[in-house]
Amino acid sequence: MKQSYKLNRRQFLAVAGAAAAAPHFVPSGVLAAPGRAGANERITTAHIGVGGMGGYHLRDMLDRRSRGEVNIAAVCDIDETRLASALKTAGPGVEPYHDYRYILQRKDIDAVIIATPDHWHAVQTVHAAECGKHVYVEKPACCTIEEGKAMVAAASKNKVSVQVGSQGRSQPEAYLAHRYLVNGNIGHISRVDCFHYPSPEDDNPVPDSEPPAELDWDMWLGPLRWRPYNKRYCPGTFRWLLESGGGQIRDRGAHVMSCAMWWMGADGTGPVTVEATGTHPTKGLWDSAVLMDVTYTFKNPDWVLTWRQMPEDQLPRAEERTGDEPGGKISRPGYGAIYRGDKGEFIHWGGDGGTWAEKKARLWEPPAGAKDVYRSPGHHEDWFKGIRTGAKTIMNIEAGVGVANLCILGNLSYILARKLQWDQAKQTIVGDELAQRMMSRPQRYPYHL
Amino acid sequence: MSMQSKAVAELLAGVRDSSDKVRTQAWLNAGKAGAAAVKPLAAIMTDSNLEIARAATRALWQLARHAGRPGAAKEKQTVEKELIGLLSDENPVASRREVLWILSEIGGANAVRSVAALLKNNELREDAGMALERIPAKSAVAALKAGFEAAPEDFKPNLAQSLRKRGQEVAAYPPQKLVPKKKTDLKPL
Repeated sequence: MKQSYKLNRRQFLAVAGAAAAAPHFVPSGVLAAPGRAGANERITTAHIGVGGMGGYHLRDMLDRRSRGEVNIAAVCDIDETRLASALKTAGPGVEPYHDYRYILQRKDIDAVIIATPDHWHAVQTVHAAECGKHVYVEKPACCTIEEGKAMVAAASKNKVSVQVGSQGRSQPEAYLAHRYLVNGNIGHISRVDCFHYPSPEDDNPVPDSEPPAELDWDMWLGPLRWRPYNKRYCPGTFRWLLESGGGQIRDRGAHVMSCAMWWMGADGTGPVTVEATGTHPTKGLWDSAVLMDVTYTFKNPDWVLTWRQMPEDQLPRAEERTGDEPGGKISRPGYGAIYRGDKGEFIHWGGDGGTWAEKKARLWEPPAGAKDVYRSPGHHEDWFKGIRTGAKTIMNIEAGVGVANLCILGNLSYILARKLQWDQAKQTIVGDELAQRMMSRPQRYPYHL
Repeated sequence: MSMQSKAVAELLAGVRDSSDKVRTQAWLNAGKAGAAAVKPLAAIMTDSNLEIARAATRALWQLARHAGRPGAAKEKQTVEKELIGLLSDENPVASRREVLWILSEIGGANAVRSVAALLKNNELREDAGMALERIPAKSAVAALKAGFEAAPEDFKPNLAQSLRKRGQEVAAYPPQKLVPKKKTDLKPL
């Protein structure tokens, strides 16, 4: 990946296109090591976190199991009610676990799908990699700069394939948008403006209380510092806390800005400055920005990326559709991005499992000699390909961390109410001792990197 | 009334206000009040009104992070000194836990002794160890070493890990991060 830092846009795209075909390592599974799937064998998976997106992944893998594509060995959750439900869904032959580390000890499991709250992503990915497991981890990849560095190092050292769940890159219309943009249809792009509706405010604050009997609060917190249970932390609502989910910028920013970095050929690069402002919730536990404006300035090449959480009535209007388009009707029009070039503009909506490209990109017919770009076979399929062949995944851990870092830096600038300078080569904030200290945070024993 | 005293009075009145918006505006501007606001804010952090307590806590964080900005070393030191004073036993555990984490962000060598003293406090030792792990002073490492030697058996692994994070070799108490501990009662179908 480091080589691509110095590539220009055209060279980068050539490399990106070739990456799928050129193995960068040979995973032990390909060699059919004892207990590991070979290239033509079924991959044996386990599911860590089975609520929310974890439930989606489990159902998807069950479909694949019914087609003979995968084995499902285990499900794991620290909420016993959820675990029981997932076990029932998965059926016979699947082992339930409370503690994911039992899964990591099993030699017959090739790969894990991690869909836990965001503050667990890095720790579990690193642990899984250290145990030789391939990893699909939900986005955002990490919550701190230090966590991201550890994830990249662990994946590289242990030669495992990691796919970060920013699945927008694998959507059919993402391919069309990417191809349209790299062929210069809107000219040189100097600005990408991401838009999103606001983060919610806690409209029902409640006092701390005892955790419900089915929930292991100690393990839910994991690496986070200890505090009493509060109903407004979970499930799902961890997203609205800066230290766990990070608000819309880290939740959906990890999707929309993932598309931007991919389409701009900017994976492996980073901004030189980050400046954020925002409005704060006026009550309740949640503390992520309600409205937000973040500006990322990139140099060499020069371009600007912005992230804006804006009132709903200011959002761009969604395109009318028939439903026959590759991505169907736009079901989530409240986020996306506008690409501004010197010959025109392009807009897309969504950026996650639903990614919808403006009509002109969908209808564009590439002329002879047009550049093509990598077309993902699907986000899970692309990961399986990575496991079997060693090909770099479309949202590999370096790219996933790069996008997560944008989200993290945006939040740090918002928290500190000042502009930050970022040194991409050294992966550090410059000239601000406090901000540097906040690039990492101590993790609770034994739930640490 | 001096400008500083006026700023403190306005801050305290603001965080105690019944209006959500007024409280929020108050804690957002807490940096202006400076070190003199630290102790009175800490007293409000345990207010029986949850939102007032929360506003005071956020104000303290805001004040400390403002003091931690580049080029404000003297202001940071003054705020740090006031925060250290809040670690004494007469303050509630919940407040002291919060202060430990604030000091983990802006604390330096001056904070180490008071933070390290809490390694002997069963309710706060975990947070104190993590704060020392983050404070970049050499004396923080020395305090972790001393704390490790003196710690009861059940807490030694935590401090061994903190020392490893600070680049120290600790042969005893190897990391347990990959060792499973908790079992489910559920059985496979």
